[in-house]
Amino acid sequence: MSALATSRRRLRDITPGTVIATLALVVVSAVVLLPIAIIVFTAFKPVAEVNAFPPSLLPGTWTLDNLQQITSELPFFRLIANSFVFAGGVTACALVFDSLAAYALARIDFTGRRFLLITIIATLMIPFQATLIPLYQLVSDLGWVNTYAALIVPRAADAFGIFFLRQFFLSLPRDLDAAARMDGASEFRVFRSVVLPNAMPALLTLGLFTFVNNWNDLLWPLVFTTDSEMGTITSGLTLLTGPGGIVPHGVMMAGSLIAILPLVIAFLFVQRRFIENIATTGLK
Amino acid sequence: MSLHHPPTRRYRPPAPLGGRRRAAGGRPLRNAKAAAFLAPALIILGLFVIWPMLSALRLSFTDASGFGREEWIGLENYIEVFTDPDILNAVGNTLLYTVLFTPTAVAAALGLALLLNSPHMPFRSFFRTALFIPFVISFAVAAFAWSYLIDPQVGLLNYWLRGAGIELGNVLEDPTLAMPAVAFVAVWKLFGFYFVIFLAGLQDIPSSLYEAARVDGARAWSRFRHITLPLLSNTMAFVLVFAMIAALQAFDQIYVMTGGGPYGNTQTVVMEIYESGFRKLDVGFASALSYVLLIATLLLSLVQFVFFGRREKELS
Amino acid sequence: MTRMRTLLGAGAAALTLIGAGCSGGGDDGGPVELTFWHGYTEADGDVLEEIVDDFNASQNDITISTEVKTWDSIDDTLLTALSAGEGPNIVAMPAERLPVYASKGAFAPLDDFYADESSNTANLNPNAVAMEEIDGEKYGVPSGFVPLAVYYNTALFEEAGIGEFPRTWDEWVQAAEQLTVDEDGDGTPEQYGIALPDHATVANGLWPSLFYGNGGGIVEDGEAVVDSQENAETLEFWRSAIVGDRISPTGLDGIGSDELFSGGKAAMTVGGPWMASIATENDIDYAIAPLPAGPAEQAASAIGISMATTVDSSDAELAAAEEFFAFFLNEENSVKWSLGSGWPPLRTDIPAEAVAENPVVASLTEMSDLGRPLLPGVVNSVDVLTAVDELTQKAIAGEDVDTLLGEAQTEIQDALDD
Repeated sequence: MSALATSRRRLRDITPGTVIATLALVVVSAVVLLPIAIIVFTAFKPVAEVNAFPPSLLPGTWTLDNLQQITSELPFFRLIANSFVFAGGVTACALVFDSLAAYALARIDFTGRRFLLITIIATLMIPFQATLIPLYQLVSDLGWVNTYAALIVPRAADAFGIFFLRQFFLSLPRDLDAAARMDGASEFRVFRSVVLPNAMPALLTLGLFTFVNNWNDLLWPLVFTTDSEMGTITSGLTLLTGPGGIVPHGVMMAGSLIAILPLVIAFLFVQRRFIENIATTGLK
Repeated sequence: MSLHHPPTRRYRPPAPLGGRRRAAGGRPLRNAKAAAFLAPALIILGLFVIWPMLSALRLSFTDASGFGREEWIGLENYIEVFTDPDILNAVGNTLLYTVLFTPTAVAAALGLALLLNSPHMPFRSFFRTALFIPFVISFAVAAFAWSYLIDPQVGLLNYWLRGAGIELGNVLEDPTLAMPAVAFVAVWKLFGFYFVIFLAGLQDIPSSLYEAARVDGARAWSRFRHITLPLLSNTMAFVLVFAMIAALQAFDQIYVMTGGGPYGNTQTVVMEIYESGFRKLDVGFASALSYVLLIATLLLSLVQFVFFGRREKELS
Repeated sequence: MTRMRTLLGAGAAALTLIGAGCSGGGDDGGPVELTFWHGYTEADGDVLEEIVDDFNASQNDITISTEVKTWDSIDDTLLTALSAGEGPNIVAMPAERLPVYASKGAFAPLDDFYADESSNTANLNPNAVAMEEIDGEKYGVPSGFVPLAVYYNTALFEEAGIGEFPRTWDEWVQAAEQLTVDEDGDGTPEQYGIALPDHATVANGLWPSLFYGNGGGIVEDGEAVVDSQENAETLEFWRSAIVGDRISPTGLDGIGSDELFSGGKAAMTVGGPWMASIATENDIDYAIAPLPAGPAEQAASAIGISMATTVDSSDAELAAAEEFFAFFLNEENSVKWSLGSGWPPLRTDIPAEAVAENPVVASLTEMSDLGRPLLPGVVNSVDVLTAVDELTQKAIAGEDVDTLLGEAQTEIQDALDD
């Protein structure tokens, strides 16, 4: 719809309820965005202002010192590249494998389906810290420590993703694939040409979810890569901890900014498709 | 996108777990097809998730430190789980956290999704984006930024609130406020994801239903109660169960913000698991505690699925 | 189960083929290669790197490569690495973390090394070495040992007209009162005399120091001794100063204290050598003084860092690691390490003049005698420190001291008996 049409409609629709709701949303958004603002602005504050009282949101003088310190202390281009390989690799693999498995769980009536589904969900209920040691032993036996394989392969399929997509596939009307089957399409063809194209919003959501979670994961890259050249930006940030365990706020905020910037850009890039798609088109 | 199944469609909505449907081909053929689709994911999950889980199960009956020799000690670790006062304290804290986090996050997500599902809302796209942004921030960074904002000395939020006559004090060192504070940070970080899932669910409710209800003179609350809630019940079950799982495994922001303090008041079960394993090198005990958490989570999830499954049956 | 194992084994074997090509070599007679994990991330890290490079250049048989992590992440990653038999050959860690690893058999004993004259260990500070001992056997070599000291803001001291740094607790509290400024009289000072943490990090050393000052303690000869009249007096004394006279905010942890000091909002803080660089970074003129004497004695708990060799090393690697330790502890490197890291020399035979060019090191060296090891030989230091945290935090919050001490006594004894 055109912007003009939108604004004309909006004018007509303004009611006291809408005004109150909008004000409420403004307040909520302000609270929600405040920590983001503090990260961005503190990243540009000189040391003296970071711990100054009274505090202020905006820097009095803007400085690039914090950002410079990061580039000098961390091989951060390398770390960002690693983050992309890790989070991107996991996301790509997981989307393929999860959707295949989810299709079977949603659309094929096979023996032991219910048991398998419960088992898959149950794997989400054990804390990751508990299986880390046996998992590390396995990855180490495979000779993968300090390789991308160690970061990516163990997460190439994910129980949450399988369950999430299964729920979505269940809701897709079956008349679509019935027609395809009539034409003699194979099960894989139904999956590939009928179900997947209709599942784009769900795949996009899951992809974003997987990418974000892996990008932000701290312990995983820390444990599987002992070589600092193989770390990710998120695990690299821990190295900014100063002497005595003191985290220099300005530098850490600058590091955080660098770490989240690619995510926010990626998100804004897909957000039209992502948020608007989900909301305005929904399911055909 | 949808995680629920409007009754307007011709097929019968399946129960949240399982549900039966006929597909082409005999059972052996269907099993073979399913195996082909499932194989890649199951190999990965089997090797890198289930196998380590089984190893952890074995370790839970030993005095393993993770390296060196280990001895079978039967149920000793499990007995300790149920008798150690520190663990009981952590269980209580975890339940409190779950009760603080889950309803708040789900209610906030649902409320905002309802507001922003309305086509009459101005700046809808902006608000939707803004509300989702925290989800892309890592827990560590979120915890760091919030701690800085509520720092009793230089915290901007404290300063502003003081100006408004509200004295926040040293929130993270306050035995009663610390837990709500760490739960709040989790709500802040995670509600955006639930919000998007609710938006998608709402989008799938046919507007014709609301129009019909309006014609019948149903008020907003009544429409919400009799149309929205029932048709969202699968989405709701999904969000509630995963929010609860996230709550029961609370760790990241607490580790950064309070380290479990003040005096153990924000110490959660996963904090105990981490501390027993990675600080005290008592991996056997950490594994036993993890399995108790797994069983408890499974039971709580089943209760929820059964509850929502039954409601759905009653309604259809 | 067996079938599952076979199946998984087959899967793992297949994956090994995919992931092959990244495994390292074995003991093939070439130069011994050692990995060394440590958490020295600042200037100290650069100096350590130099010493390692010098060592590598000094001979042709051993090459050490370092991996820098934070102290926290060493704990997170060491256990997993050990579980796979892939621990580093040498690892540095906070000294109070050593006993738990040693008691579980992660580290190689070093008694023979210490007995060897060429190990350069004869003149090590005995209190530092005490932190390497578990059940009478040594498992580590100290790489750092420094008593907690008072770092104070000289500009604020001048402003308040305090010429000489206090020598006793009473003078200390009095000075802190003079330095506490509540201009608007709202009960919340804008400037505190001192930042005294009541839990976590530095507080773990501060409170034992204060207990020692009045003749008390926490653990002696493997027994909990925290429930004593002396400790009760100590807690009452400091509670009245912190809460009654408001010389310090309550509810601080060590990091919060350091931040107050570096923000110029506290005139004194208790800490380690890192405070020197933090003060400089924040343009604060500072000086260092020993912790003032308590009624019974003058003592300060020390912060220690230990280096150990893991059992994942071959005999050749262990011998090579010991060779490095001896190199690290020789006179030249001891001085170099001390000057570069800002920590006092570990060897008592190195005179203060040798490190005079670094005033921080010189003043810390003068107070080396005061340093006491923190919980030497205590395997479950985690629970002991948690109990002390809870004790001090609740005492400052106003709870009954005798009850708290009784509870702490039980908890600490339980942790020791574990």
